[in-house]
Amino acid sequence: MSEVGDGLVVRDVVVRYDAGRRKAAVTAVDGVSLGVARGETLALLGPSGCGKSSLLRAVAGLEPVAAGRVTWDGGDLDGVPVHRRGFGLMFQDGQLFPHRTVAGNVEYGLRVERVPRDARRDRVAELLGVVGLEGYGDRQVATLSGGERQRVALARALAPRPRLLLLDEPLSALDRGLRERLATDLRVALRETGTTAVFVTHDHDEAFEVADRVAVMARGKVLQVATPPELWRAPASRAVAEFLGYQAFWPASALDPGGPSEPGGPRGSRGPDRSVAVGPAGLRVLPDDGAAAPANTWPATVVESVFRPRGVEVTLDVEGPAGVERLVAVAAGAAPEPGTRVRVALDPAGCAVVGREAPARQESIPTTP
Amino acid sequence: MVGRAHTPRPAPDAPTSPAKSGLPVARVTLWGLAVVVPLAFLVVFFAWPVLTLVGKGFVADGHLDLGGFGEAFSTPRTWRIVGLTLGQAVLGTAASVLLGVPGAYVLFRCRWPGRGLVRALVTVPFVLPTVVVGVAFRSLLVEGGPLGFLHLDGTFTAIVLALVFFNYTVVVRTVGGLWARLDPRAEQAARALGASSWRAFRTVTLPALAPAIASAASIVFLFCATAFGVVLVLGGLQYGTIETEIWIQTTQFLDLRTASVLSVVQLVVVAAVLLVASRTRARRERALSLGSDRASDRRLRLWGRGPDGTRSALGGDLVPFVVTAVVVVVLLATPLVNLLVRSLHVDGAWSLANYRALGSTGDRGALSVTVWDATWNSVRIALVATAIALVVGGLVALVVSRRPRRRVGRRAVATLDSLFMLPLGVSAVTVGFGFLVTLDRPLGLPVDLRTAGLLVPIAQAVVAVPLVVRTVLPVLRAIDPRLREAASTLGAAPGRVLRTVDVPLAARSLGLAIGFAFAASLGEFGATSFLARPDAATLPVAIFDLIGRPGQGNYGMALAASCVLAALTAVVMLAAEQLRGERDGGEL
Repeated sequence: MSEVGDGLVVRDVVVRYDAGRRKAAVTAVDGVSLGVARGETLALLGPSGCGKSSLLRAVAGLEPVAAGRVTWDGGDLDGVPVHRRGFGLMFQDGQLFPHRTVAGNVEYGLRVERVPRDARRDRVAELLGVVGLEGYGDRQVATLSGGERQRVALARALAPRPRLLLLDEPLSALDRGLRERLATDLRVALRETGTTAVFVTHDHDEAFEVADRVAVMARGKVLQVATPPELWRAPASRAVAEFLGYQAFWPASALDPGGPSEPGGPRGSRGPDRSVAVGPAGLRVLPDDGAAAPANTWPATVVESVFRPRGVEVTLDVEGPAGVERLVAVAAGAAPEPGTRVRVALDPAGCAVVGREAPARQESIPTTP
Repeated sequence: MVGRAHTPRPAPDAPTSPAKSGLPVARVTLWGLAVVVPLAFLVVFFAWPVLTLVGKGFVADGHLDLGGFGEAFSTPRTWRIVGLTLGQAVLGTAASVLLGVPGAYVLFRCRWPGRGLVRALVTVPFVLPTVVVGVAFRSLLVEGGPLGFLHLDGTFTAIVLALVFFNYTVVVRTVGGLWARLDPRAEQAARALGASSWRAFRTVTLPALAPAIASAASIVFLFCATAFGVVLVLGGLQYGTIETEIWIQTTQFLDLRTASVLSVVQLVVVAAVLLVASRTRARRERALSLGSDRASDRRLRLWGRGPDGTRSALGGDLVPFVVTAVVVVVLLATPLVNLLVRSLHVDGAWSLANYRALGSTGDRGALSVTVWDATWNSVRIALVATAIALVVGGLVALVVSRRPRRRVGRRAVATLDSLFMLPLGVSAVTVGFGFLVTLDRPLGLPVDLRTAGLLVPIAQAVVAVPLVVRTVLPVLRAIDPRLREAASTLGAAPGRVLRTVDVPLAARSLGLAIGFAFAASLGEFGATSFLARPDAATLPVAIFDLIGRPGQGNYGMALAASCVLAALTAVVMLAAEQLRGERDGGEL
């Protein structure tokens, strides 16, 4: 990403909150650097309280930046007030204006720009089409469902053609089915309108579905920025892997190099400082055919089996290289009864190799801006 | 379809130009004005008169002298007055709360046909002018009146009853407003755990309501302790409060020193109560955030079910329903209906003679102007007072509803908030009296505001400002700050955000604020009785003059004039309620 380059550049940004009388200020964002190219969608992914929303608000101009710079196309945004930045923002709960109709909400930004009435009407109709709410213009916002509200909020944010659209957990308040449907619609709408976007979420499925690249944040720092497949295949650190749902970390040296299920890939070099991260679908339950134990398989006792549409999910106590751990594996056939002794094997497609750090304290890894 | 054809919105500012300039000068000036104008109003028309008055209690012949306190407190009369004030305030508050909590339940938590009408009826007493209430209770309790056989006329009980009549609404609306929004599932969970309905109420609902009850009680206590018109009309010479005593010392005995000392005592009582009130209000606002928006009322169910399935008076809503019905019919409706009926009777027969007499100045020239003239004076003055209160109160609410980022700013906002609550507690009599002693040459300027005819509306505005703030502020505070942020990110400058988000959303409460302010100044008696010249008397002052003069004709006119004032107030409040829309309950 070039320094003067197109789009948004965030460099060493720090955001602090006044925590009240005689308390040290809380540092919500601690020296973050990021870049978002024009037309790209970047997801900020992290647990709640990791500073991702604060970073978003700082970019929007709603929080003061204590240190560092936010630039757009090389121009410093320091001191540019919120309403002059040309950045759209969409909140988790929509924040529609309750005293305006759907059309009144969508055209708000256009009225601010004094767009003539006819052009305004056309643009509102066009955007209601984009979000799948044709003909909703005269509805009162109080009569809308949660999903419809978010669609209106999206249309409202897109209407003035923002240079950058900031989305703060736009789908989190919705129920699962609706969330998945809207995530797809959101991606399509962003692509169709060619909008540059930053998308905050705590749900990695959502991030992977909508974003071109994902920045994983924890404790105010960015741990890794990568495309979804890259992130999944090669988490930069154990913290990232843990957040993505990797369930166990086994020393790579403990695996038999000749074994059939040796995880590897381009970064699979095995050294003493590397460990194998076992993903949520990284273990398979082997049919117990009574044969001798193959390499890289471990004995386990079934605790519980749950049927899922994509296979049986088995919870077991695995006697693996790091001692007995309670883990989840996938079984192909019938659900094994609790108490059954089985063997589990690694599924390379569901595993990754990460650097091996101290498990408790996680140093952040500086990332490329 | 939207394609890539359109160009993204260009940057309105060239990014290299430091756009910081847009912010400070204009905005700081405007916000500064929004702070300075109300503050100046408060200082000149409230702090200065009140402090001057207080000073008179401490200073004699140019040096500090606490002798006035010694003198005042060495007379048994002072102690008796202080005792009476606290006694009637305690009793009035206790009775209002005990009757008001069941009322809040029946009127805000249960659903039954006619509920809306009764809710409106219950609101009427609160906005009725104190003089009207005094006259209504007297005409009910006087020898020969419908309840004359109780011999309550001129007794302590009559005063307490009238205070409950006034303040029942405050408890019902404050507690009911919270109760209606309380999530019923906590109580349901307690029931599912085996608690009886009474136990569930006592252990779950009551603690949740406690902040609202405490806040209502402190406000009611304040109103009772500073009651003036009602006590003056009902108490006669025998009973009084600090408030009426200040009036008597000033106007009857011309003892300004004792009056000042009493004002200080009053201030101390009020400040203590306000402190408690603001504490509980802070707690209540926290408690409210736990409430849900779900409709949580349920059908009124008079009878409970006993363990054997039989009907039982316990467990159902019978007890609160009967209590509320008795209060509404006997305590609230009877005095008003009686007032109306008696105003239409002359010498035991139906007649409009009392109303026809309103065009006159009363028997033996009891008044300097006709009652209709006084009515017109009242309306005119109330219009001016409402306009002033709206500007000052609106600005205060606007400033106080902001949440500055810096701690200093937040503290300043909180201070401003409590400063403008003070006039609610400081007695109107003190304000009126203070005007008299200071505003002949305000700030040394050679203008005598007393003759300019502006003093009365200004004094009434001082009384009405806290009502405006308390009505508008909760609505402004309830606006999610992110709604404003959404408008900003859509390109709206701060002024436009104010115009397109804050103002439309607060507009409805503004209607109610206008109603409250107008009703309050229409019925204002404490300060007005000091300040209104006889030839520019307002309606409450005229009514008080009429009942003070002998003659059946004057008394009949007072009854008729009270009905006119009550009707005027009711119309104003009804119109305001219409503007208010769907929202139930509220601060007052």
